Amino acid sequence: MSIELILPGCFAALALAIGLYSISVRQGAAAWWLLAGGIALAVVTASLLGHSWTSTILLDVAELAAVALVRLRGTPEAARAARLYLYSIVPAIACTLAGLAIVGTGGEAPWPILQKLAVCLLVVGFALKLGLVPFYFWLPEVAAKAAPMTAALVISLVDIATFSELAGLREIAPWIFERYAPVWTAIALISMAGGALLALAQSELKRMLAFSSVTDLGLLLLGVVAGGVGLTGAWVGALNHALSKVLLFGAVGIAAQRIGRPVTLDTRGLAKAMPLASAAFVIGAFGLIGVPPGFGFAGYWRLYTAAAQYGGPPLIACLVAVAALDLLCYARAIHRTWYGSAPVTLVSQQPAYLAGGVLTCLAVGEVLLGLWPDVLTGLASPVVAQALLH
Amino acid sequence: MHPIFLPTALLFAGAALEIVLARILTRATKGWLAFAITLAALLSVAAVLPDVRDGEALSATLLDWDAGVPLAYHVDGLSVLFMLMGTGIGAAILLYAVRYMEHEKEGTTRFYALMLVFIGGLVMLVCSANLLMMYFAWELIGLCSYFLVSFWYRQQAAADGARKVLIITHVAGYGLLAAVILLYARTGAMLWTDPAVAAGLSTGLVLLMLVAAMGKSVMYPLHTWIPEAMNAPTPVSALLHSACYVKAGVFLIARMYSIGPWHAAAGPLLLVVGCVTMFVGIVFALKQTDLKRLLAFSTVSQLGYIVTGLALGTGLGVAAGLYYIASHALFKGTLFMCAGAVQHATGTRDLRLLGGLYSRMPVTTAIWITAAAAIVGVPLTNGFVAKWLIFDAALDAHQAVVVLIGWAISMLTAFCFLKATVSGFFGSPAPELAAQKVREVPVFMLLGMGMLAVLCVLFGIAPQLLLEPVIAPAVRSLGFAWDVQMSWLGVATGSGTVGVTAGAVVVLTAALLGAAAYRLIRIPTGKAVAVFAGGDPLPVGDTLGASDFAEMAEAAFKPVYSLDPDPLYLRIWAGIRDFARAAGRFAAGRLERHAPAVVVACTAGLCAGVWLL
Repeated sequence: MSIELILPGCFAALALAIGLYSISVRQGAAAWWLLAGGIALAVVTASLLGHSWTSTILLDVAELAAVALVRLRGTPEAARAARLYLYSIVPAIACTLAGLAIVGTGGEAPWPILQKLAVCLLVVGFALKLGLVPFYFWLPEVAAKAAPMTAALVISLVDIATFSELAGLREIAPWIFERYAPVWTAIALISMAGGALLALAQSELKRMLAFSSVTDLGLLLLGVVAGGVGLTGAWVGALNHALSKVLLFGAVGIAAQRIGRPVTLDTRGLAKAMPLASAAFVIGAFGLIGVPPGFGFAGYWRLYTAAAQYGGPPLIACLVAVAALDLLCYARAIHRTWYGSAPVTLVSQQPAYLAGGVLTCLAVGEVLLGLWPDVLTGLASPVVAQALLH
Repeated sequence: MHPIFLPTALLFAGAALEIVLARILTRATKGWLAFAITLAALLSVAAVLPDVRDGEALSATLLDWDAGVPLAYHVDGLSVLFMLMGTGIGAAILLYAVRYMEHEKEGTTRFYALMLVFIGGLVMLVCSANLLMMYFAWELIGLCSYFLVSFWYRQQAAADGARKVLIITHVAGYGLLAAVILLYARTGAMLWTDPAVAAGLSTGLVLLMLVAAMGKSVMYPLHTWIPEAMNAPTPVSALLHSACYVKAGVFLIARMYSIGPWHAAAGPLLLVVGCVTMFVGIVFALKQTDLKRLLAFSTVSQLGYIVTGLALGTGLGVAAGLYYIASHALFKGTLFMCAGAVQHATGTRDLRLLGGLYSRMPVTTAIWITAAAAIVGVPLTNGFVAKWLIFDAALDAHQAVVVLIGWAISMLTAFCFLKATVSGFFGSPAPELAAQKVREVPVFMLLGMGMLAVLCVLFGIAPQLLLEPVIAPAVRSLGFAWDVQMSWLGVATGSGTVGVTAGAVVVLTAALLGAAAYRLIRIPTGKAVAVFAGGDPLPVGDTLGASDFAEMAEAAFKPVYSLDPDPLYLRIWAGIRDFARAAGRFAAGRLERHAPAVVVACTAGLCAGVWLL
């Protein structure tokens, strides 16, 4: 078994988790289910197909469907977010399709000018799709204004599938990253630092989660650029990102439903009324920032190793600084929003048992995979070996 | 499975069992189960002891934790010392916790599972041959500490304390991660037993590791999390924040002697850090009126002694440091449990509201006095032997200044614990307390703390019982020769130790003469006697209380209190927060408002970058 099977398996499991959660915490009407199901199907199928035109087109369709899913919320803010998403995604799709057309089957383009054009198109296209700094504008809006599971679908499934498409390019056409490493590295570092700082500046939790995605995707991109163990780290990190973000958005979604308003840093003491959601948020946060024994650490140590080989101590110092900012950000969110004694007013007294159960399973998965990541990374060993050979 | 994995397996399986059986077991039964598992782990550790006695080590690999990362153990004398400490003291504290935690309405499963994971994580940390697994265990115990401090997460103080614990120890821990990763990138080796690791060790990497060790082991200026951690249940404070968790850092410092030559590069710096920590810790302890916070700051000071011993870089210094580690775990664990017993019985740990507990809690008082005597370094206790070894080692390393500092701080320690003892256990109870029905704590709590107090005296009278079978293999495992010859009462019997032995005899004689004189000349009167109170006599009827001592200490050491690094940390945090807010305002005002223009400009910039390459 290899990553080609692990990835769709994980996507399918997460899509199932999102579906079960959404039965308990309503995300939308029938149209929402239809679109969400379609997106999940497209993402799973695309990742099963591997690097191909069909897969690329399926992912592009999934992205456009995600725009409609955001729009479905029906609020003016959601409509604005969907518009912003659309304006970003359409040029992004055009850029990536053109770039991939030039790259073709992976061999080097005949003329240097075409190579440069392809790289420009791919950098801009993927930066727009993934919401990397300075092309991030749609991501926080979508995360904040869409339903929580819509945001989770966009970030954990669509974005990660897009990222895996980019990581796949590292194996097919390594010259894109090796010859133009400074550009990719710069965008990765700016995303990491910018995302971490902007996450710290947020008071609304879903926006904060969106910016922390930008940080994490910057780190994963750095792994792709570094290659070798970094690429393996990026794969593992991407899986962890998907899992953690469903946990985090899920926990915030339950809280928002029960208090009847968005969860911000001014919300206090949620853990008292929602201990399960609180635990899920804490585990998701620690998993995302790579604190052992979360699964994130299995990706992080590889990414750090790749960074040490690629950029030496200065790059490690950057990564540590960003990780510290992430920690400050999540620790503040946990302690201001979830912990503490302040009374919290609930508008919905109905506990979301099924959603709580889903989050519990995902949280247990996050810890178990962290305790023994070899279960997953060992399965992908042929790919690991292949990646290491590069 | 190799037997060296048995303690870890037992403890982790025990934690899982606690969770699985949570709905079936009563609160007390969960405690008994945790105690039994820790006892079984202790026995399995004891079984390993004979195999490492002469400096040998046991090595085995269980499985691949991750692709290419083996979970490999290398158990030597140093590992066994820490394993004994974790499981032994852990067992005593869990016995104490059975009754202490019985009244908690919720969270006992979480509590016992985390305690077992913590002990298992400590065992894993000290046994790991793989540096990455060592970091994994390092953070695992860190996370246990965080969750245990936030046990009462609905209380703001506990939540705030936990946050501080997390931030300081985890951020400092990145030093260890960075060092491990850079070492791996440089040498391709992850096992510290691999000679390539020693060859790749540089001063920078050593300093990174020391930063991590300083954070965990509350070295100045990274010590400020420990008083906030006192909002945890007392068994947590006793096990984590006195006996074991704070020892993880000193373990790393000791282990670095096995990894490679580091002392020449960072030893002197560490010696300074140790001495400063000793001083700052005790000065801050003097000021406290909360019993647990006082103990927390005294832990800072005591860890300073330990680090000073280890930083001397000699066999004798390392032996002294390691003996101090075990001794501190015993007496500080006892003191914390006594503080918990006081709180359990009276509902407060504020020294201003306590007093006269001797008549109501005589056994707790006796245990407290024994442990307090040990921490002060009174002869016949392990604390005396530990301090004596440190002073001896410092003299041997021609560091007379260290002896002077250590001696002065011993006096301040005595002053600090005299204050705590008198305010808490003697004199008249505060009016609030006088009305309360205060009773001695349950027998199992007494047993838990009593066992450790007995060991304090036992290892004070016969230190060779600990030195020969446990400390000597640990010292040998670090590559030092064992040249400590110590007999009953800590009397050094090796060649060239005449001066030290004579000094010990003088101290002991003086103590005995003092006691005899006190007995002989004491006038049995019920009247209050005049005491020197640092100035004018006190008005008739007034006595010195905890707050008086605290105020005197505050006045005397005022300049030292400005060394508190917390205001600096606050300024750093405020700086980061303000910078982030400014970035947020810039992004919202300039970038997001003109998104299309920004995208076009950045695209042009990127294309230019690509074209130039």
